[in-house]
Amino acid sequence: MGFLDNLFGNNKRDRSAQVAKERLLTVLVHDRVKLTPDMLEQLKIELSEVIARYVPNVNPSEIDVSLLRGDSSDHLKADVPLRRTPPTGGNESDRASARFDSR
Amino acid sequence: MARVITVTSGKGGVGKTTTTANLGTALARYGARVALIDADIGLRNLDVVMGLENRIVYDLVDVIEGRARVRQALIKDKRLPEMYLMPAAQTRDKDAVNAEDMIALANEMHTDFDYILIDSPAGIESGFRNAIACANEVLIVTTPEVPSVRDADRVVGLVEASEKGPPRLIINRIKPRLVSRGEMLSVDEVVEILAIEPIGVVPEDEVILSSTNRGEAAVFNAQSIAGRAFDDIARRLRGEEVPFMDMSEQPGVLERWFGGLFRRRAKA
Ligand SMILES: Nc1ncnc2c1ncn2[C@@H]1O[C@H](COP(=O)(O)OP(=O)(O)OP(=O)(O)O)[C@@H](O)[C@H]1O
Ligand SMILES: [Mg+2]
Repeated sequence: MGFLDNLFGNNKRDRSAQVAKERLLTVLVHDRVKLTPDMLEQLKIELSEVIARYVPNVNPSEIDVSLLRGDSSDHLKADVPLRRTPPTGGNESDRASARFDSR
Repeated sequence: MARVITVTSGKGGVGKTTTTANLGTALARYGARVALIDADIGLRNLDVVMGLENRIVYDLVDVIEGRARVRQALIKDKRLPEMYLMPAAQTRDKDAVNAEDMIALANEMHTDFDYILIDSPAGIESGFRNAIACANEVLIVTTPEVPSVRDADRVVGLVEASEKGPPRLIINRIKPRLVSRGEMLSVDEVVEILAIEPIGVVPEDEVILSSTNRGEAAVFNAQSIAGRAFDDIARRLRGEEVPFMDMSEQPGVLERWFGGLFRRRAKA
């Protein structure tokens, strides 16, 4: 049946139950962590302060924080662009990534 | 001392009232003294599901506001002499009751019953909080659908934070055929996602509709598969070890052999 399913485009990943499970697991990462927009802003500001002690040119408004589901744990991922000095024009920047386990 | 068990869900319409009526009836049929409390103030329904709507004189809010004694408000079941219903007020809103009122009520009823089952309103607001305030145990009902499971997860978090002990899960309206086709979340998947102990699985069953029409719990109907599932849950509540029903019903022979072809046709 697996072979036929693949042949006819009915492989397991396309089934709606599988899609439902993936979507639920992802949305629940966000629900469970309960990071409000205010907390998120504060997190970015404090993060940039800490990082600025070690690395120059961090702008809190450019930090991108996201929650991701991993296999054994969930992750809070922060993407911290570092502006190049002197500015090379445009929005070009090197990016430093930091990962923190969210549980 | 009664065990006070609240049936709640987060999302509305997933089967809390149906579950409360059936579990209460099943427990009473095993000889337990059972009180059902409808905590869905303003949207009372347990009375009609139980077929007791014509006997209401006083309600929960009358008791809490001192216009009636507990004994006066409790309605005796039509068939089971050891089962009683405390109806919700229909013309009031949920602010007529608070958590302390519910705790006081449960304390007053404790010695007269073996089980007090509370039918919670949907949501996570004060009505829900009142309904779990006096519970020693919480049962969370969900259907195998994304919005319902998501809301159930919220309620799991709130119940766990309220020191009630771990809530247990009832998965309602499962359709084995859809599960075997991969078009409905399976019991295992829902349990894995919510990570709480299941106490029962109830299949979709048309008898629920006809039973509700008549105001008689499905557990009275030996033909009802949902009725049997609720009976199993009642036995588990009583501490019996009852194996879970096999929900992995195979698709029909035609479906099995030609399912792929049919589905492809349908897509084209
Ligand atoms: N296993 C089942 N099979 C078929 N129908 C069901 C089943 N369980 C519940 N239903 C139907 O689903 C509907 C909602 O059920 P019910 O009133 O028990 O939900 P509820 O969670 O109490 O809703 P509310 O949040 O509005 O209080 C009813 O029409 C009921 O008959
Ligand atoms: Mg209800």
